[in-house]
Amino acid sequence: MSVSGYAENAGQFGKSVMNCSDFAQDIALYCYGELTGEAEERLEDHLAGCQVCREELDHQKLFMDAMNDRPEELDFGVLAECRQTLRAQVATTRPWSWNNWFRNVQIPVGAMALVALGWLGAHYTPERFGGVRAGLGTPPLFSSVRSVEPDASGRIQISVDDVTRRVVSGDPNDPHIQALLLTAVREESNPGIRVESIGILQSRAGTEEVRRALLDAVSHDPNSAVRLKALQGLKTYSASADVRQTLASVLLKDDDPNVRVQAIDLLTAHRDDALVGVLQQIVEKEDNAYVQSRCMKTLQAMRASVGTY
Amino acid sequence: MQIAGTVTAKLAVPIDEAGLIRAAQKGDQDAFERLVRAYDQSVLRVAMNLLRSPEEARDVYQEAFLKVYKNLHLFRFDCSFHTWLYRIVTNICLDHLRRRKVRKEESTVVETSDGPMDRAATLEEDSPRGNPERQMWNAQLSDRIQRALGQLTPRERTVFELRHYEGLRLRAIGDMLGTTEEAAKNCLFRATQKMRASLESLL
Ligand SMILES: [Zn+2]
Repeated sequence: MSVSGYAENAGQFGKSVMNCSDFAQDIALYCYGELTGEAEERLEDHLAGCQVCREELDHQKLFMDAMNDRPEELDFGVLAECRQTLRAQVATTRPWSWNNWFRNVQIPVGAMALVALGWLGAHYTPERFGGVRAGLGTPPLFSSVRSVEPDASGRIQISVDDVTRRVVSGDPNDPHIQALLLTAVREESNPGIRVESIGILQSRAGTEEVRRALLDAVSHDPNSAVRLKALQGLKTYSASADVRQTLASVLLKDDDPNVRVQAIDLLTAHRDDALVGVLQQIVEKEDNAYVQSRCMKTLQAMRASVGTY
Repeated sequence: MQIAGTVTAKLAVPIDEAGLIRAAQKGDQDAFERLVRAYDQSVLRVAMNLLRSPEEARDVYQEAFLKVYKNLHLFRFDCSFHTWLYRIVTNICLDHLRRRKVRKEESTVVETSDGPMDRAATLEEDSPRGNPERQMWNAQLSDRIQRALGQLTPRERTVFELRHYEGLRLRAIGDMLGTTEEAAKNCLFRATQKMRASLESLL
């Protein structure tokens, strides 16, 4: 049942000429009901006059029937065990919830921010915290083995990198605390910590470093809750050029509609005729109804045409 | 036995799925468990069929549903829950398949004192009843199918599994794998071509 070696039984469709080999993929997709109406009609027309392709269709069907001979395998014993394990794990895992972080992040400015970060040991040494209370936690949080070598006496030498946890506390305005928070925004793998850090930093979005970190988070953070939080932080700066540029690119690129909804609100809060081109592009590709209508209304208010034609 | 091409997703979708999701999002563990039960047979079956290892299928099950539990608040109803869940499941399965790609696919050919011998050819002895010839044919075929599936790339294997055995539409599969419907079509076609080539002598 070779698929190659078709007779050159060509059919003419409009300007393009299709050979039997061009139909091979269509035949497979036809059997799965995955052809568009037009492609299906074209194939059926061809099949009516082509013995070679009818045989190919039979082979494909034979193959698909044979594949169905695989026994159905679902071990209900395994399923029951899986359910039990999951239930136990869920009972000890806290889901990440918006309500939780809203409660946690509303730390009044000026109050002490207490940040416990697992990566501290790797990034900072105690000497760098002049005015800040820093305590070294004793047991390592993570240990990773760097090398394992047997020595001549038969003993094993293992070199281990330990990451320890320390608790650092200080005023949110303390530059050391801010440096830690900025590192957390950029490097921490736990998105919950990134969101919290942004929440604390956002009151300082006027400083160049914080603002750059927020712009980076909006454009590049893989987690949409973090991107949303960073957008909130930039709210007061939605009139400045670099923020507007980032907002426009979020609208064109971000795949989370919630982030785009925030971005369009911020972007259209100020009238800006330079936006016409971007808004027209967004109207064309946007599938979120709110974002689209907001763009159209803004364009209409600017008396610009909605399409790019 | 299923008729590929016509089966729709074999899922027992609960009547008020959206209600369950919202309740689970608010922390209702009971609702979460009911949501799990609506889908977990299908998740375990896909993982089992893709990975051919109960241990790994178990791991995929735990990893996938824990991820769902931890991220459910991010689910915004802008795709179906099923698509969202399968996106998680297929990505975890793909990770497992890729990680193990270096390891050699299990072969049925074993070395004996009489030279190499195909285990598949001796399988009919285990069949208690029925036409022995037919039994042997089936055992041989299903073994060959497994080996042929083993020759696909992780992505081809996943697309084939989801389309042929789970009956999902290629458009949804493309969405789950972060690619286009067109790419999923090409992938399915490549998979069927490879499978047919390696099963040629049996068909
Ligand atoms: Zn033809």
